[in-house]
Amino acid sequence: MQEYIEHGPKKINRDLLAGVLGLPRWWMPIASVALLVILIAMCAYGWELNRGIGVAGINRPVYWGFYLANFVFWIGISHAGIMVSAILRLTQAEWRRPVTRAAEVLTLFSLLAALSNIFFHLGRPWRFLWIPPYDFARGVWPNVRSPFIWDPSAIGTYLIGSSLFVFIALIPDLAVIRDRVSGKTAKRVYGFLSLGWRGTPRQWKLQTVAGILLSALVLPVFVSVHSIVSWDFAVNVSVEGWHSTIFAPYFIIGAIHSGVSAVAMVMALMVWGWKLENYITRDHFDAIGRLLIVVATTWFFFFALEFFYAIYTLEDPEIALRTMQVFEWPYGPMFFVFIVASYFIPVPLWLLKNVRRSPMGMFLTTISVNIGMWLERFLIIIPGLARKTPFTFDWGTYHPSIVEISLVCFTFAFVTLGVLVFSKFFPLVPIFDVKEGEVFRDEIKVGRRTVPASIRE
Amino acid sequence: MANEKWGMVIDLDKCTGCQACVVACQSENNVPINDEPLYNQRRASAWIHIERYWEGEFPDVKARFIPVLCQHCDDAPCEPVCPVFATYHNSSGLNVQVYNRCIGTRFCANNCPYQVRFFNFWEPSWPETLKNQLNPDVTVRSRGIMEKCTFCIQRIHKAGRNAKSEGREIRDGNDLDIRALDPACVNSCPTNTLMFYDMNDPESEIAKLAHDELEHDGRGYHLLEDYGTHPSITYLKKVDKDAELHHDSH
Amino acid sequence: MTHISQNSASDHGTSNDVTLDLVNRHSHTGNLFRISAVILSILFVLGIAGFVLRITTDGTSNNDKWGYYAAVFAFILTTAQGAPMVAIAPRIVKAHWRRSTSRAAELWALSGFITTLVFVPLIFVLPGLEDGRRSFWFYHEGEVARYIPHYVGALSVVAMALAGLFLLWVSSLPDLAYIRDHQTGWRQKWAKVFARGWQGTSWQWFMVNHRMGILGAFYFMMLVFTHFVIVADFLMPFVPGWIDALFPATHAFNALQGGVATVLVTLFVMRKFGGYSDFIQFDQMWGLGKLLLATSLLWIWFSFSSFMIFWFGKKPNELYTLDLLMTGPYLWLFIAVFILVFIVPFFTLIWNPVRRSTWGPPLIACFVLVGTLFDRIRLYVAAYSVPADADMHGPIPLDLVPAAVYPDVFDILITIGVIAGAVLIYMLGTRLIPVINIWEQRELSIYQVHKRFHRTEVQVLGKPE
Repeated sequence: MQEYIEHGPKKINRDLLAGVLGLPRWWMPIASVALLVILIAMCAYGWELNRGIGVAGINRPVYWGFYLANFVFWIGISHAGIMVSAILRLTQAEWRRPVTRAAEVLTLFSLLAALSNIFFHLGRPWRFLWIPPYDFARGVWPNVRSPFIWDPSAIGTYLIGSSLFVFIALIPDLAVIRDRVSGKTAKRVYGFLSLGWRGTPRQWKLQTVAGILLSALVLPVFVSVHSIVSWDFAVNVSVEGWHSTIFAPYFIIGAIHSGVSAVAMVMALMVWGWKLENYITRDHFDAIGRLLIVVATTWFFFFALEFFYAIYTLEDPEIALRTMQVFEWPYGPMFFVFIVASYFIPVPLWLLKNVRRSPMGMFLTTISVNIGMWLERFLIIIPGLARKTPFTFDWGTYHPSIVEISLVCFTFAFVTLGVLVFSKFFPLVPIFDVKEGEVFRDEIKVGRRTVPASIRE
Repeated sequence: MANEKWGMVIDLDKCTGCQACVVACQSENNVPINDEPLYNQRRASAWIHIERYWEGEFPDVKARFIPVLCQHCDDAPCEPVCPVFATYHNSSGLNVQVYNRCIGTRFCANNCPYQVRFFNFWEPSWPETLKNQLNPDVTVRSRGIMEKCTFCIQRIHKAGRNAKSEGREIRDGNDLDIRALDPACVNSCPTNTLMFYDMNDPESEIAKLAHDELEHDGRGYHLLEDYGTHPSITYLKKVDKDAELHHDSH
Repeated sequence: MTHISQNSASDHGTSNDVTLDLVNRHSHTGNLFRISAVILSILFVLGIAGFVLRITTDGTSNNDKWGYYAAVFAFILTTAQGAPMVAIAPRIVKAHWRRSTSRAAELWALSGFITTLVFVPLIFVLPGLEDGRRSFWFYHEGEVARYIPHYVGALSVVAMALAGLFLLWVSSLPDLAYIRDHQTGWRQKWAKVFARGWQGTSWQWFMVNHRMGILGAFYFMMLVFTHFVIVADFLMPFVPGWIDALFPATHAFNALQGGVATVLVTLFVMRKFGGYSDFIQFDQMWGLGKLLLATSLLWIWFSFSSFMIFWFGKKPNELYTLDLLMTGPYLWLFIAVFILVFIVPFFTLIWNPVRRSTWGPPLIACFVLVGTLFDRIRLYVAAYSVPADADMHGPIPLDLVPAAVYPDVFDILITIGVIAGAVLIYMLGTRLIPVINIWEQRELSIYQVHKRFHRTEVQVLGKPE
């Protein structure tokens, strides 16, 4: 980092624990709004449980609608955590330090939001226990050949891995809070959670090794989760536009694109909400902006490959589907918004240093990316189903109902509330990570210039 | 018991589009009543339905009818994707749907290229007077469950039980027994468009018909051959004496 | 508590010592080098003979005779021409271990001469688009030129070779200037031609860095595009059912793995036989070993993604493709590829002791190179053996899978000859251009400092913007 502000451990503690030991003024109103949306959505879900899937806009042939699009979207966002904390840790990128925990927490709640969409979408959700290998009194096991069995296995593994990741990185900070908090219960709870952390060299070594091991072990999970989710669609020969081999890497790079954009959004919100501009500096926004340029362009390459190979098949139904996706109402305008919002607005703006270094610039461009990526998931799922197979007699349309819209809003409110509640009890910027960065930072004099440096073993 | 493999031949030259099969299927299998709101929601259930396609411009318009029902594919794309094994292939070549196992993910419906799977979006209801009409041999499905044509498996099982109690094979029964075995749609068809048979029966006339029409440049074909699903239903092309000769027709 | 460390002496002495030492080492040519060059030249000439015999015996109209030829072309494209990426990518993330490896990697751009040369007959082997093959150019008679894949293929192969050569030249400008200033004889003459007035001004240094950045990005784009064109026009259209959107990306990312493997083997030779063992140490092997592991995982992920879709979907065309390329006549070759390109690298390189050794990664790299050759043979020989009159758009029955094509004498001569040619041109290139990047080593002595940190001594690495 070229501009550098030195803090010192005491100031770091004070600044980063402000959210835990106190409460910003905007916290209550926003959390209340989120809670309200959640309650309304739960009423909507209760209605759906009572009446049936008929209250949603799903019909024949469009059997999957908003719920699945939203599911894929949140799985995509969940890839933020691993990308930022695991991959950037393994490549020793120093700029990751303030944002790792926010990214991992975003991952956790995104995964839970995605799983909730599965419940919304099931016809008989009270029978969901037949999906895990439970209740095999009838001698019937889950069908291991079904992508819908791989899904919960992968997502469950990812959830456990991410939770472990968050927790292990949290232990030193929990000890810091334990030593500073005043109430008796609070002290006991934090004491229990920090597992007797004293900061001895052995404990630090174990914690570091555990972090590195987890980073490496969770990488295959990271790749396999979204590959498996993409195979929900790609194994399907019947629906046009789904049966493409590129779906696995395409979805993953799309997930990295929307996930890292979501992290950039959260970074901007953290700077504004908790006044962290000294910890999440313009250099951090610059770094994530540059990463996003590479990620977005790689994503666009895979998107172009997928689209062209659909036309390359020279099959009339496939080409007709793509024509419908791009040119016909209502999918045409959605396609235009999607491609412009995902790539052609953000990336040229990110090439400008001023945009990259400004929190507002990154916030607006990354919102644009995520609007585009949500539309992308919709455009993959619904047009193909609407225009499935050559039997025109069975073609259909799709209109989302108010229940589906409120349950989609539920997922956004849920993630917001989750991150807010987390920030109240645990520091959102990892204290020990920031302190470690300060210790490792060094400078080298080269002639008349001082070059920032970092200590390596 | 000899191993049966059930199949159908549908002769499109004879189909008049009268929809008797649709009505028979609905009443035999307790298919929910499709009222106007349900049609407008695009959620109507018709395990066998007549798809009608218009060909040509006025005054030379022709209507093409094709009864479409579950093809009971040998390589059914709907079977591997059900997470709970609610659909599987039984030893008689039928694609079976287990209602009380289905949790309603609707993955199978997406995978079916023939679009012949139906979902119960609402709790089906019958007016009080019509409840006596429900077939006691067939489960009444609740909401959240997938359903589709079963080749009237309840009739096949009944015929099987009768045959076993009489100590013979199903295919060695008399004509009335055979008619009782046929699915409701086959029974009700006035023009004998729909023909139900056992592919493994060496003496079946319908099997010979299917074989001949498929092999020697005849009228036989399968729907959506390119998908490699190997359906159990053979369609026989309509003979249109006014049509031009096409060398690449398929 | 900022620490400002003074620039202390690096491992190899001051920057000037480093320069003189490396330039001296570079100009010495050992006997082993001369003997190897002679042997490689003989093999290369035999390869040319094999090619001449092939073209006079069979002509260019019979696809199935040219499978091995196309395979070795793709092999060089994947391994040798993927090597410059090992210089480009770590430079972008400013990894310091790359300084000893970047020139060795960039020199492989010289194999662009070989690939361009070898590509020319393939232009004549590939049929025109009028036979109805699925193509990327959506051929319509009268509207699209029927030889457009040939033009675009040639253009992209040439452009990629030129980009690599240009990158090599820009990166070696400062070193050629040192040779011009410190050496005599024929080296000094050629260095004078290529160094073109290099004085080492700030502006020139800025331009070198700037151009290397742009050329690096351009080379990567050309690599991806060239692999895409080769796959989409010279490979996949031969197999009627092979509609695999991922395969161009798989083929291109194989080049990353092949490039890392090539550089690893090169570094081992440099260390053992070139006398550079003090420059090529654990850091380089460890960094490249990690990259080899990562790219092997990428291989299995992409290959499995393609396989999964075809296997689950069970469409007749897809089953035909799977049978042809994997489970049918080339089954044993595929198993060998799977073991060499994935199983061996994965189960060895996950262990730190293997990665941190100087012999581990290069040994695994040898397995990967052999596996990549087998992989290219499997794909290209299988695809080129599909009869030209196969129905290009309908469902194909499985019994039309052609039998395995075994190499004949000409194929073996050509394969060995082309590989020998690529290695030979590399070796000859090292006589002019130093195989260790001298100016980057000087930079390291500026940016790297050793100092005490608490109770241990650590390395402090500067990261300038």
